[in-house]
Amino acid sequence: MAVTPNEHAELRDLIELYAIGALTPAERRRLEAHLSECDECRAQVKSWEAIAGAIGQAIPQHDPPPALRARVLDAVGASDRPRAAASMMRARASAFAPWLAAAASLVAAVGLALHAATLRARVGDLERRLAQAIARADASDRKIADAQRASAVTQSQIAVLTAPDVRRIDLAGEPIAPQSSGRAFWSRSHGLVFTASNLPSLAQGRTYQLWVLTAQPAPISAGVFKPDSGGRAGEMFETPIDLPPPVGMAVTVEPDGGAPAPTGPKYLVGP
Amino acid sequence: MWILAAAFGRPARPPSPAEHPAEDQHALRRIADGDADAIAELYDRHARRVYSLALRILGDAPEAEDVVQEVFLQAWRQASRYTATRGVVAAWLQTLTRSRAIDRLRARRPYADAAGGDRAATEAVDSGPPIDWQFLSSEQTRLVRVALERLPLLQRVAIELAYFEGLTHAEIAARLEEPLGTIKTRIRAGLMKLREALAGVA
Repeated sequence: MAVTPNEHAELRDLIELYAIGALTPAERRRLEAHLSECDECRAQVKSWEAIAGAIGQAIPQHDPPPALRARVLDAVGASDRPRAAASMMRARASAFAPWLAAAASLVAAVGLALHAATLRARVGDLERRLAQAIARADASDRKIADAQRASAVTQSQIAVLTAPDVRRIDLAGEPIAPQSSGRAFWSRSHGLVFTASNLPSLAQGRTYQLWVLTAQPAPISAGVFKPDSGGRAGEMFETPIDLPPPVGMAVTVEPDGGAPAPTGPKYLVGP
Repeated sequence: MWILAAAFGRPARPPSPAEHPAEDQHALRRIADGDADAIAELYDRHARRVYSLALRILGDAPEAEDVVQEVFLQAWRQASRYTATRGVVAAWLQTLTRSRAIDRLRARRPYADAAGGDRAATEAVDSGPPIDWQFLSSEQTRLVRVALERLPLLQRVAIELAYFEGLTHAEIAARLEEPLGTIKTRIRAGLMKLREALAGVA
């Protein structure tokens, strides 16, 4: 079924989300029906799936417990699906039973020689692979450590954002920073994630500080942060489990290290 | 001699599966013929990645181990069907791993995913088009990781919620109280930056 150029553009826009598995079932069915008849979109899917696949590879690597190998291979041994082909061949071979005994000893001898050759080849292969691995290990050790740190931070942020008790508070720029905006996600069980954009750059020795406003008169400090050169910030703060329910949040500028109570001008306030 | 010294010197890291596509294909053909040694070979090359991805998605070691077992059992059972597509085995295993882990994650959620899947991720893999994307090299993967870390937080969060939590864009929007279109735009913008990071790297 041919699609109109408009429909095609619409379907084309679903491809990145399809590749990362984020389409709703209805959208996915619609795109899949189209893929069967559109080479161009199929090629696009392939290239975006490689990108999405890289996300699944760009994660900290852990060795599975050694005992798992035997468990998996035992489970495979107990499952007989692919053996069907082999047993059919055996059934046919049984017609030639008189030949089998003689043939078997020959096969065994040849098999042993082959096995020895295979072992030698495997050892050579393993040595080569180990050499490659060691050459790479030096270069990648530090990168892996960096990635694991970054990944741990993001995972705790995601834990906040996916917590069933998450609450969102939007912050708007005050007259001193009208272009700025911020957003906080707070979960009693998981902590606080704060993002902001278009924050003015800070003078030397100054920092931004995020305050939680509650029913109590004194704002409670969530922590300090500095935006990047583009004025963006994305921070994760732990909050005490007995934090009174936030009614709002505010961001002020304070001396480096932060202040026990707000002293500087407010940049962001919400809601 | 050097091999011993080196082995004790530091933990060996298996090479990237991207480097063994032909060996993997060969192993899969042997699996299709019922050769159990070939599944052991595939396990030794890929178990670490399969386990790491399952662990990243589920955050639970025993469950991740169960996923590893399911994935290799599925590879064993479906090898003959998969060899016909001539896809990259490592990519197939990764897709199987993600969908099995996501199915477990969905089953674990206490509430119904109203905006989301009426279809299990595993089923989507089994009935969807063949998996034939290219597995990226370790250098390309590193570039993607760096690019991912540099994404604006909310773009990265949307991408990670989709890939690692298996949420649809509608579910992500509901979760973050954002309009539908915003999440779509954010995911697409983020993925485009990841692709830009790879531009010019073969």
